[in-house]
Amino acid sequence: MKKIYALSIALFMGLCSCVEEQNFDQFDDLNITPTLEASILYVESPEEVINDAPGAVWYIQTFNFDAFSEAFFADNVLDGVITYELENTTSKELGIIFEFLDDSGTVLDTENFRIDPAPTAVLRREIAYGNATGRSLDIIRNTSAIRVSASNFGDNTSVSSLPDPMIIFRSSGKFRLRLK
Amino acid sequence: MNRFKLFQIAILFGCSALFAQNKELLYDYTEIPQALLLNPGMQTSFSWYAGIPLTSGIYGQGATSGITVHSIFANDGLDINDKVRNRALDGMNQRDEFGTTIQLDLFNGGYRSNKNPQIFYSFGVYFESNTILYWPQDLAYLAFDGNADQLGRKFDLGHLKTKGEGLTVFHFGINKEIDRNLTLGVRGKIYSGIYDFNSSKNDGYFVTTEGENNLLANTMVADLELRTSGLEEIRRVLDDESNGSVSNIITKRALLGGDLGLGVDLGFSYHLNDRTIVTGSILDLGFIYHTGDVLGYTLQGTATTEGVEVILPDAFSDPTADFWQDLVDEIEALIPFEENTNSYLTFRPTQLYGSIRYNFGEPVDGEVDCDCGVGESSADNRFQYRNAVGGQLHMINRPRGPQAALTAFYLRRVGNFLSLKTTYTVDKFSFSNLGVGINVQAGPVNFYALANNILGYSNLANSQYASFQIGLNILSWGTN
Repeated sequence: MKKIYALSIALFMGLCSCVEEQNFDQFDDLNITPTLEASILYVESPEEVINDAPGAVWYIQTFNFDAFSEAFFADNVLDGVITYELENTTSKELGIIFEFLDDSGTVLDTENFRIDPAPTAVLRREIAYGNATGRSLDIIRNTSAIRVSASNFGDNTSVSSLPDPMIIFRSSGKFRLRLK
Repeated sequence: MNRFKLFQIAILFGCSALFAQNKELLYDYTEIPQALLLNPGMQTSFSWYAGIPLTSGIYGQGATSGITVHSIFANDGLDINDKVRNRALDGMNQRDEFGTTIQLDLFNGGYRSNKNPQIFYSFGVYFESNTILYWPQDLAYLAFDGNADQLGRKFDLGHLKTKGEGLTVFHFGINKEIDRNLTLGVRGKIYSGIYDFNSSKNDGYFVTTEGENNLLANTMVADLELRTSGLEEIRRVLDDESNGSVSNIITKRALLGGDLGLGVDLGFSYHLNDRTIVTGSILDLGFIYHTGDVLGYTLQGTATTEGVEVILPDAFSDPTADFWQDLVDEIEALIPFEENTNSYLTFRPTQLYGSIRYNFGEPVDGEVDCDCGVGESSADNRFQYRNAVGGQLHMINRPRGPQAALTAFYLRRVGNFLSLKTTYTVDKFSFSNLGVGINVQAGPVNFYALANNILGYSNLANSQYASFQIGLNILSWGTN
């Protein structure tokens, strides 16, 4: 019987498990902050549309845009950059005003662009939000609409010699979110 | 409680049949009645046995092929973000897995036929649950890093694979000694599914590329599906959307009131000579048909978006258009998230065991081989040797293909009242898996305790694999 006791004790001792000290509080320090990017708005207009418009402001449109004000995004966004790109192959100097509006239509932020007639380089601009040098993140959080206004600073008759002349407005956003 | 939380709970408390489930210590441990569940054709010499309800077989297992708790939460002064980055995100891949298994004998018994002592019947009911979650590598990268500055990188949605179930198994087995060398066995099973969830046939990707018009294009090709059974009714009770209690729902579904299925186990033992024996079994050849409380979710389709697009002069035709909502509606139409209540079939995770054993040393208690069958003079058709060595193979069908383990074992018997078994197992989880088991026969009382990967018990938090099994039976040897 002594052997049985000895074996049983040995087995019991062997099975006695230990767990080295763990620090589960570290979980609080875990950061999950992915950076997501996607296009926002694309507008293109051929030169003939600009020529057909009677006044200087040939296009103005307010777009409902709920992506920024969605709770998941608005509650978790940390900072980000919006990239704008304008490409003008028309014969006219053009202006674009890009405005962020809140629910009540109040303008939260404005971005002005003025681009020379063709041939011209692509105009690209990056606007930061939320970091030390960026604009207020509340602009992004409270945006529920975007207004685009386009002005013609040239004539209403000329047509660019380039094929398929048009003004193209491109934009994208790159934002860092805190998931944890 | 939302569905996601319910899903998380199901994973955390999920049961056992899907995971590794290798019970190398118990397999062919002929002194333990529960070994019949692993090979219905095992050589038996019991007259009868009765498992103590709820304690005759308690089995638990946890395993991870990648990181351990210690890898992330060790109190080592390192930044947890660095540890997660280096050890989880960069250190694991989609074949790494986490899993748990639980099996609990509700009752278990067996008896030898009076009319035909070569036949031994066994029967019982056990609860089983298992969960497996493969590391969703690309989705983890997407969650931690996002898609920014990764043009062209396809995040594979197929990395999402998980499966879990809980069920009770009603079984009845027949074990027959065909002749002095060969024993065959078969066990029929009725499965009563309590809950099930599986999302294991996903496909598709998410990619960000340069846009054709705008700066970026986000494309999703999705063929994702999650099927659940037995969870929705519990959710409704927990959310106070219906009357009843969770325990009543589970009890009802456990007692043949849930999803039903059929299965069979087959096994054999064959003496190559007096001292050498080969065994084999195939377990859980069966299926469960999920028909009750079924709820499935699908996300299938293809969509590419470059944001809100306004093309003039076409856009002038509808000056009141809501371009944003149109975009959302278009994407939802292209990749609809849908629910269904379609019944579905799941196949049990079929397992295969095989072994070869060589007995040596003195016969236990100086028995003499009588060259007779069970019941003719003694229940022992062959006497037990003091020692045995051998090798075992275990394979199980898993969502990412078969998984195998090889085991070497040594068995030592001390009289008729004590035996010890040690194993060394190699599988995807560990190359240092040493197991120890003890079986004690104190009169009619049989007690056993088996534990795997005992080296890991020195620091369980750093162990990639741990399992144990204990049980208590009353049994009698020899003829009735």
